[in-house]
Amino acid sequence: MITIPYLTAVSTYFSYGLLFAFGQLRDYSRLIFDWCSTNNLQGYAPICLAHEDFYIRRLYHRIQDCFNRPISSAPDSWVDVIERYSNDNNKTLKRTTKSTRCLNLGSYNYLGFGSFDEYCTPRVIESLKKFSASTCSSRVDAGTTSVHAELEECVANYVGKPAAIVTGMGFATNSAIIPVLIGKGGLIISDSLNHTSIVNGARGSGATIRVFQHNTPAHLERVLKEQIAEGQPRTHRPWKKIIVVVEGIYSMEGEICQLPEIVSVCKKYKAYVYLDEAHSIGAIGKTGRGVCELLGVDTADVDIMMGTFTKSFGSCGGYIAGSKDLIQYLKYHCPAHLYATSISTPSAQQIISAIKVILGEDGSNRGAQKLARIRENSNFFRAELQKMGFEVLGDNDSPVMPIMLYNPAKIPAFSRECLRENVAVVVVGFPATPLLLARARICISASHSREDLIKALKVISKAGDLTGIKYFPAAPKKQEEEKDRIKLD
Amino acid sequence: MYVRALPTTDVNRNTEWFTYPGVWTTYILILFFSWLLVLSVFHCSPGMAWTIVHLAHFTVTYHSFHWKKGTPFGDDQGIYNRLTWWEQIDNGKQLTRNRKFLTVVPIVLYLIASHTTDYQHPMLFLNTLAVFVMVVAKFPHMHKVRIFGINGDQ
Repeated sequence: MITIPYLTAVSTYFSYGLLFAFGQLRDYSRLIFDWCSTNNLQGYAPICLAHEDFYIRRLYHRIQDCFNRPISSAPDSWVDVIERYSNDNNKTLKRTTKSTRCLNLGSYNYLGFGSFDEYCTPRVIESLKKFSASTCSSRVDAGTTSVHAELEECVANYVGKPAAIVTGMGFATNSAIIPVLIGKGGLIISDSLNHTSIVNGARGSGATIRVFQHNTPAHLERVLKEQIAEGQPRTHRPWKKIIVVVEGIYSMEGEICQLPEIVSVCKKYKAYVYLDEAHSIGAIGKTGRGVCELLGVDTADVDIMMGTFTKSFGSCGGYIAGSKDLIQYLKYHCPAHLYATSISTPSAQQIISAIKVILGEDGSNRGAQKLARIRENSNFFRAELQKMGFEVLGDNDSPVMPIMLYNPAKIPAFSRECLRENVAVVVVGFPATPLLLARARICISASHSREDLIKALKVISKAGDLTGIKYFPAAPKKQEEEKDRIKLD
Repeated sequence: MYVRALPTTDVNRNTEWFTYPGVWTTYILILFFSWLLVLSVFHCSPGMAWTIVHLAHFTVTYHSFHWKKGTPFGDDQGIYNRLTWWEQIDNGKQLTRNRKFLTVVPIVLYLIASHTTDYQHPMLFLNTLAVFVMVVAKFPHMHKVRIFGINGDQ
């Protein structure tokens, strides 16, 4: 639940109105300017429609230096950010050869596998020497090695399902698999804040799409009842299949899905559950098995479990885990399996080694240590930020914490101020988030030490004071001191 | 004072911002402050200022609500390219609270403008024309209607 001060909401709308008005004025003057100059592209159609890129040209380009920052080292807890400069007011940015070492609060490096690891990296290098960087083929032609088979078995065991299929790209897992699972005549009910990959896959499938209010099982039940009663549009025949798509952790809110209630609603109305665990697999739960373990949901109740390896395992690619029949069907029909190049073998080896470390099968307890550390780090950081008066979203135990900024001018201000103090944060605005709710998203990693977090807190507090984003009153410190004094007496 | 921002089910990012708290207040405040601005810049009578605000409001809102089609970003792959902003809000549902509010505002502005100018011509004629076009454009029957093909698709 996001609580906004009323004055902030009004001033944010006003700021965006001003930005849009100035953008329009600039567009008009550009129109007049171009009318006078000659155009040597007679007969060519325009690349994009009239106002489709208005937002990119007039709003995004002005603060372009806060996004797409190139890095020149592994995304560990500290990262080298390449400095850039612009001669034409951020329309184009040029890289320099200098880089600054910044504290990395933006990478999805939840368990710290994003850089050299003493167990994983030697095995990956060995696999690189033996199998080479790419398989140069799709899975069905010549792209399945013993490592791939081992990986699919390993993932299936880890997630708790009978079988799994692995693809080379996380986004493509959703957008290529959902059209295979459901088609015209089916119904997809997705959470209103689902990721673009799910939206793309759902649109590409041709099924009817309905949206339910974010993380509200009561609204899901209402939508299901309504849709089952109405049937398919125009013909009113019963739906061929109903799939409800939810995510484990929502990456823009840091909230954990209310899985037990949603699963019980779906069971009642005989709908399939598709769980996208991109951010939650490996990061939450006692042994890192994701949101099902954390909330105590039996994995047999979730029909299709999807996840990616980019976040907690330090690799690339995605997986789908389900029953043996489902995976067999997908292997015969999914275009990501039949035509796309298979996941590169060293990356697959990285995933296998990372899973072994997490489960403790490498002979040490580093996996359990990492999981405990990320939980500790996230809870400490979130509590401290809330004490300082920031509005931080997300549930306890979630390593993703968005800090609300709201005003469009605070987005570049916060980002640039943090970079000046050598802390790299990711800021997100419209249209990735709703217009009013721009935020800075912090991702905590198990490789952050306590000193790193304290430094980050100091810098964020200073930037927060400068930009005025401490919307809640800070927790009083004097009361605690008095309590201690009384205890001593 | 704080308000709660409930997440909506509107997936169209171009219109979803209108469902959050504070929009109506901002709209009315912008109109009031622009009246003050016009008064201070042009040194005219309050009635003339209201007429200027009303006509400027008509131009701006007609262009942005009923003329421009599509969305200002390309992420939605162009599914709203044939719909104006007015046809997009609330997923095309008619007679919602937002639509009723947006219909009432030009009418109230017209009443204020014609009252403060004592119903004199030529302001009355211009104001009446503006409000007539605005209100007809917002009728439920005009949903996706393009008269004489004006602003239609190629």
